[in-house]
Amino acid sequence: MTVDVLSSIKGAQPSEAVNKLFDVIKNAQPTNNNSLNNVNNNCVSINNLREDVVIESSAIEKQLIIENFPNKKNGYLVVAKVIED
Amino acid sequence: MDSQIKNIHQQLVNKQITCTSLVQEKLNFLKENTHNTVNSLLDKTALELASKVDAKIKKGEKIGLLEGIPFGVKDVYMLQGTNTTASSELLKNYKSPYTATAIQKLLDAGAIPIVKENCDSFGHGSSSENTIFGAVKNAVNPALVAGGSSGGSAVNVAKDFTVFSIGGDTGGSIRQPAGYNKIYGLKPTYGRISRFGLMAYASSTDCVGPLAKSIEDIRIVLNAMSGKDAKDQTSIPSKEIEEKAILDENSVKTIGYFKNFIENDAIDEEVKADFLASVEKIKTTGVKVKELDFFKSDILVSTYYTLAMAETASNLSRLDGTNYGNRIEAENLIETYAVTRSENFSEETKRRIVGGNQVLSQGFSDEIYLKGLALRDQISENFKKDFNEVDIILSPVTPSAPPKIGESLKDPLAMYLSDAYTVGFSLAQLPTLTIPQGTVTGLQITAAKNNEELILKFANFLKDTI
Repeated sequence: MTVDVLSSIKGAQPSEAVNKLFDVIKNAQPTNNNSLNNVNNNCVSINNLREDVVIESSAIEKQLIIENFPNKKNGYLVVAKVIED
Repeated sequence: MDSQIKNIHQQLVNKQITCTSLVQEKLNFLKENTHNTVNSLLDKTALELASKVDAKIKKGEKIGLLEGIPFGVKDVYMLQGTNTTASSELLKNYKSPYTATAIQKLLDAGAIPIVKENCDSFGHGSSSENTIFGAVKNAVNPALVAGGSSGGSAVNVAKDFTVFSIGGDTGGSIRQPAGYNKIYGLKPTYGRISRFGLMAYASSTDCVGPLAKSIEDIRIVLNAMSGKDAKDQTSIPSKEIEEKAILDENSVKTIGYFKNFIENDAIDEEVKADFLASVEKIKTTGVKVKELDFFKSDILVSTYYTLAMAETASNLSRLDGTNYGNRIEAENLIETYAVTRSENFSEETKRRIVGGNQVLSQGFSDEIYLKGLALRDQISENFKKDFNEVDIILSPVTPSAPPKIGESLKDPLAMYLSDAYTVGFSLAQLPTLTIPQGTVTGLQITAAKNNEELILKFANFLKDTI
């Protein structure tokens, strides 16, 4: 898959500078796999979760969300058609 | 102890100044400033809040330490009702529907946000030139870059346009501009301050942090913003740092520094000499100094950028113009995504997204991304061993002085490599403070996770030593 499709960016090209950084990783000494097992695990304990309830957003928050919508017409929010012909 | 926040608090309490005149003065400075630090000025709301503080003082009511203190906010933080643009074409008209937890805590303490600050778009940069609002100019020498990505925040604090500012640090974005503008900048332990409401760059290293002109102000603002937050499940609990706790300057017995940072072709001769001179001064006080081994700069930089680019590619995939942002309509949905993103993301941002998607894709992820994760684990392990031998690690902030505006853009690889001294601490999620002493761009003080108190103690010690 080409990078423009991978990134959903029209005309995107890979970068020389960035590829050089990746080459350093490729050529780095192989790490010994006696698994440090991702020392920076950021998991959450089940006992530590918030209440499983829906918290209604404030009126102003909802208003701003709608204000941000890119395309509106006659009281509707406009999006691209997704139904295939 | 030196503190801009406390000085102003006293002046307000003693009625030497009014909050309204204080805030108006700062707003005027910001409006007229030629350093390009402002994305948007929050004048209306700031003056409203200021008059409320003045009313309280007039009635004889007590005000908190942060109440009425004007501060700046890097333009990647949600602050309800304000534009949060991430200095990007895509979000230039985007209005925050809610407020970031860290900023809300400051609002609850009565501090007054007065400006959304210019920065590298989405945190992508080390110079604050990757922005649609024009390059931020260095506070000390405006021909030079302000550093990045929190350049606007650093310059505002340096020029006293804000009393303190809130920046974001993923690979050095608070510490490096703090160094470039000769102020203090703290990247706390990852998770100490909630990231809820901070536009994500690399979620596993992004940190919220203060920039200020004194160690005491760093302490005050850090305390105000810290705390576990249910809305950010990577956040951790922490203890408040007491004022007298950081005055005990004799807690540090041994420090270390990475000899390969200093014995390096890239480091400027003067930076090297100044760093070593600082180390010598520290030795004369009886503190032991150890030379430590570390990974080479190119490994550190490549590991950081591999992981950060992968994470930013993932985080920014939500920006497609569907629900918000500067949508550019095209023939169909997929084209609309592709054109919206292509036209609205800057070259640097596109470079990082593309790179990130490359390393995450089949055929590359084992060789590059997973190897990067393994290297990161090794880097963290290395620090664990180091902190068994030393209390503090000292290092330069950058290999050389800030470049001229326009120079970094010619060579992205050189810009990435200039992050060599900051990224290692980011990857290990350690607390690190830049102090405006030692070399032309300051010094970094790092300690083990959650040891911000020791860092502030040592910073106070260095104030009197070097």
